[in-house]
Amino acid sequence: MGLVKAVRIDSSGERPVQPSEPLDLSMRLAALDSPDAAERRRAVRDLAAEPDAVPALCARLIEERNLSVRTALFTTLIRLRSPAVVAGLLPLLRLDDANLRNEAIDALQDMPEEVGPFVETLLGDHDSDVRILAIQLLSTLAHPDAPRWLVGVVDTDSHVNVCAAATDCLAEVGGPEAIGPLRRLARRFAEERFVAFAVDMAIRRIEGR
Amino acid sequence: MTSASARSPEEIDSISPEEFAKLCEFFYRRTGIVFSEKKRYFVVRRVQERIATTRSSSFRDYFGLLRFQASGEEFQQLVNLLTVNETYFFREDYQFEALTRGMLPELASARKPGDRLKIWSLPCSTGEEPYSIAMQVLENWPQCDQYEIQIFASDIDSRVLGDAVRGVYGERSLQRVGPALRAKYFEKIKADEYRLRDEIRESVDFSTVNVIDRVQMAAFRGFDVIFCRNLLIYFDDLGRRETVETLFECLAPGGFICLGHSENMSRMSSLFRPRKFADTIVHQKPTDAE
Ligand SMILES: C[S@@+](CC[C@H](N)C(=O)[O-])C[C@H]1O[C@@H](n2cnc3c(N)ncnc32)[C@H](O)[C@@H]1O
Repeated sequence: MGLVKAVRIDSSGERPVQPSEPLDLSMRLAALDSPDAAERRRAVRDLAAEPDAVPALCARLIEERNLSVRTALFTTLIRLRSPAVVAGLLPLLRLDDANLRNEAIDALQDMPEEVGPFVETLLGDHDSDVRILAIQLLSTLAHPDAPRWLVGVVDTDSHVNVCAAATDCLAEVGGPEAIGPLRRLARRFAEERFVAFAVDMAIRRIEGR
Repeated sequence: MTSASARSPEEIDSISPEEFAKLCEFFYRRTGIVFSEKKRYFVVRRVQERIATTRSSSFRDYFGLLRFQASGEEFQQLVNLLTVNETYFFREDYQFEALTRGMLPELASARKPGDRLKIWSLPCSTGEEPYSIAMQVLENWPQCDQYEIQIFASDIDSRVLGDAVRGVYGERSLQRVGPALRAKYFEKIKADEYRLRDEIRESVDFSTVNVIDRVQMAAFRGFDVIFCRNLLIYFDDLGRRETVETLFECLAPGGFICLGHSENMSRMSSLFRPRKFADTIVHQKPTDAE
């Protein structure tokens, strides 16, 4: 015993003659509900080139408890990135599960171009928690309009916590054009000392002091 | 389709930015490897070489061959030219320490004597990594004789696999192999040429495998330890995620994966448990994972 000659693993024989066997999409989608996690994971990964599977994948995400399947769901959705994927991920921001919300934000950050058209609606959401998550999303979204959207929040949002989140974010990504709106914000919430403090910090960061 | 007279690479028309982008996109989809603008000269030079050798009349002509040739031979040729195969014996050897001091003893404690333990070096390049593993196990794991240890090694590049099977190495590769190990496992055949002894050479099984080809990868299951080092650096974020998920499926429950030191990913934690052995972190597939 000890080192023994490994037996050759033949990976060539497994390839189906037709590279993509035209297995019916509905059959492949049905496998997403298999009781076996490994099978669900395989089904998810097999759908990475199937834009029509997006709604089913997003629906599965809400149900899925197994972490490895959940990870695969996000990976597949990032591979499929499209406006439909963004639309399917946004409802996750309303769920109670903080991990799932954060993973959704991570995934959305990987598709800045597709997220762009949804940002204004998201920032106008009636739920201030969703608006705060939208700001978290903007904080590292590689999109040229991110600073402009944040300035818009500071100028118009009526909720102090939302404005404070946008202020912190502008400290990181804002330019000189944010300074005026930040000063106005401090005046608008003059009675909230922490706003004045956050604005002051942000302006100092922007000015590089 | 191809012109009769051979031209030297210098005589080949330069490749336009659109053609370069098309080639990169194709290569990315097939191998996971991303070429940045900085690599442009490296890539273009080699593609021109292949255009000349295959006597293709233009980039378009060559690109057609690359994509549609039934044997895939030209694609393999280009892969062999465009991969970076840098490696040496006992590279990042603290992970080999972790193997014999931590991972193998732990795996063995849940097995019976005589049971099999499977290790995979992917990618293995010219073989220094799997052969280092073999020497490390023989030299530093006293229980080695009680188990059947199988070492597999794979790479997408068929040329380096040929070198690996031959097992002849120069000083550059051997820098970290001390005199005792050289004397025991190598035979000097010339100045700057050492042949690995058959005992080690024959203990490793080499195969051509493309890690992003899920059909190929499906044949590799039940591994106890996978070394996947200095591969993901050539991939983009998404490719890294997908590869790690594929390797997760190749591991047996409780199996370990070792990545290169710059390749750890924040998202590993949703799939693997971080484990510390011999001062290094490796990733373990949960024992209850399917
Ligand atoms: C720098 S070497 C690493 C060798 C060894 N693991 C080490 O750390 O020294 C990278 C290897 O990855 C291989 N490679 C690149 N893309 C691959 C793929 N899609 N599948 C398998 N191997 C790949 C290359 O052929 C190359 O030999």
